[in-house]
Amino acid sequence: MFRSNNVAARIFERQISTPAPGTSVHCARRFYENIVPCHTIFDIECPDILFRKFSDDGEYLVTFSRNHQDLIVYRPTWLSFSCREDDCLDHDLPPKANKFESFFTQLYSVTLAASGELICKDFFLYSEKNQFGIFATSTAQIHDAPAVGGAIQGIPSIEKITFHLVRLEDGVILDERVFCNDYINLAHSMGVFLYDDLVAIVSLRYQRIHILQIRDSGNLVDVRSIGEYCREDDELFLNSSAQGMAITDRNRANNIGNGLDHIHHMPETSFLSGLKQRLLSFIFRGIWTEEDDPTSRMQCLKKKFYFHFQDYADLVIWKVQFLDRHHLLIKFGSVDGGVARNADNHPAFFAVYNMETTEIISFYQNSAEELYTLFELFCDHFYSSSKNSFYMNFLSTHSNNIHALDLLKCNKNKANNLQQFVKKMLATLPFNCQSQSPSPYFDHALFRYDEKLISATDRHRQSTDHPIKFISRRQPNILKFKIKPGPESGNSDTRTKKISSFLFHPILPLAISVQQTLFLQPAVVNIHFRR
Amino acid sequence: MNSSSSSMMMMPAGGSGGRGGGGRSWPSTTSVSSSGKRIQKEMSELSSDPPPDCSAGPKGDNLYHWVATLFGPPGTPYEGGIFFLDITFPSDYPFKPPKVVFRTRIYHCNVDSAGDVSLDILKDGWSPALTISKVLVALRSIFTNPDAYKPRVPGIGHLYLADRAKHDELAAEWTLRFAR
Repeated sequence: MFRSNNVAARIFERQISTPAPGTSVHCARRFYENIVPCHTIFDIECPDILFRKFSDDGEYLVTFSRNHQDLIVYRPTWLSFSCREDDCLDHDLPPKANKFESFFTQLYSVTLAASGELICKDFFLYSEKNQFGIFATSTAQIHDAPAVGGAIQGIPSIEKITFHLVRLEDGVILDERVFCNDYINLAHSMGVFLYDDLVAIVSLRYQRIHILQIRDSGNLVDVRSIGEYCREDDELFLNSSAQGMAITDRNRANNIGNGLDHIHHMPETSFLSGLKQRLLSFIFRGIWTEEDDPTSRMQCLKKKFYFHFQDYADLVIWKVQFLDRHHLLIKFGSVDGGVARNADNHPAFFAVYNMETTEIISFYQNSAEELYTLFELFCDHFYSSSKNSFYMNFLSTHSNNIHALDLLKCNKNKANNLQQFVKKMLATLPFNCQSQSPSPYFDHALFRYDEKLISATDRHRQSTDHPIKFISRRQPNILKFKIKPGPESGNSDTRTKKISSFLFHPILPLAISVQQTLFLQPAVVNIHFRR
Repeated sequence: MNSSSSSMMMMPAGGSGGRGGGGRSWPSTTSVSSSGKRIQKEMSELSSDPPPDCSAGPKGDNLYHWVATLFGPPGTPYEGGIFFLDITFPSDYPFKPPKVVFRTRIYHCNVDSAGDVSLDILKDGWSPALTISKVLVALRSIFTNPDAYKPRVPGIGHLYLADRAKHDELAAEWTLRFAR
């Protein structure tokens, strides 16, 4: 069917024809081909702030003060000006267009960091339902912290990590949760995952997955902690029955005249943690049922289970994401891989855990082709930030977009070692929470762009001097718009490394690019919008 | 079967190293090599004829540190549970009994709060004629017949004798929470 690219023709077409059932949103999104952020205002006058991102509903622009103390929230508005002449489009923009404040209105600034703490500038999670934001502040990390009180060896420690629940409408801090002498991976929100109203926080140091719930009242409520125990009342249950055991022990102690100072707290035992017990018994059961013949079963267990028993028992939780309200995808690995930047070479395992029934559902090594196949076919199931987040349905993945799938297949064919490729792909799991921009300009069905230079994934990238081109997907030769970070004239100094980051508004044709050179030079901020 | 016989064939090499070039003399009773040889032998016996619903094997390449796995027998409060145990062989095995510790929490009058098992054949009742298969069978039997008259945890033993239903209910709850 012929489709015009003329916006007037499209509006007319929208008026007279009904799109195929279920595609109305997709049809409406095609208008983004006509409305693009093609105008750039270079190097705008901008307060010295650290940009985080737009909230996923586009209501707020979240930034932090340069000293990492305050949260500053803006409302995206639109440049408005009046013009005396008839054809105002031909005129230059008024001088105030060069000001950040012409596009964004500051709502408030609120201090989050207490003394000694700094805001983690990579961390922000947004609960769209009640417009709450979660922020993190922390003290400096200690690298050679002694492993005391059940902590595992080799994980750094942070004296105090505070999570703040902020109502973004007015900046009121509703609740806080403090973790002391713990280590939570805050960079890019890696150690925390938000699903609906549930928050999973991974304590690497104490190997717990803390599940919290955000109540509508603005309270953070503990739901359970998974790791040492599986159910929320396991510890209580154990202590109450252990008291019975301890009393008998004490009686015995009394009998031999040791007195009452011999009081049992939970002793340091060699018991497997609750989650480890589930994991090991799942692996064991799998091998046990695989073989029917007792002799070959025994051989199999010896080779596949007992030989690796200690390795399995020593696995640590690295990262977690929700798959739905009950299921967690947990990545396990060795201690040294948990905090290492490049953990590709470490063996890792994935487990799906149902936290209601406390069962392990499946367990894979990071080279498992079966898991990769699931990932290739059902990638959308892994991007499960929330069920009521509408925009997230349109994230382009290789499971819902033919062009993204093409790219993946192409990379797969290029890879000379399938196992390495599988490992590389599975290394992205579990996903970082809310790391994808829902902007329609990243929709592969609408635009083609170089994923090496820019993508929906929220990451800093090394900057090039060339503008980044967004080309129409349906008309492969038509350049729709360009995004150019940095000064208009290009950089005079080509030797210093420049890092750029891009903030796309989820709905409006509006983007901010921030280019930073290292060593504390002021950033160059450009605004890209439709004039 | 193949791998166990091949590892058996490798034994003399390790054994001669332990003996230290004393010719083909009778090995001393505390020699590591003789205990190793014995453990190897028991391992192949266990592999060829494992007792029902239990298994065991060395952790990594250390012949003296084993892990055993027991299924909670049906009809007992331990049904549905999988219990992991550490078995450590002394260097003068089989003249000293192996040490057995539960790695899975269990509510049992013969297992204390640190996981240590009190079993007669692992203490005074030990005989060098016993093997790891017999130990596994004995461990398995404490699930069905706890020895409440010689309890390691008197409280549980007392409850077992006084109120069996309550004891079984608690033990089943422990199994559900900690041994699945």
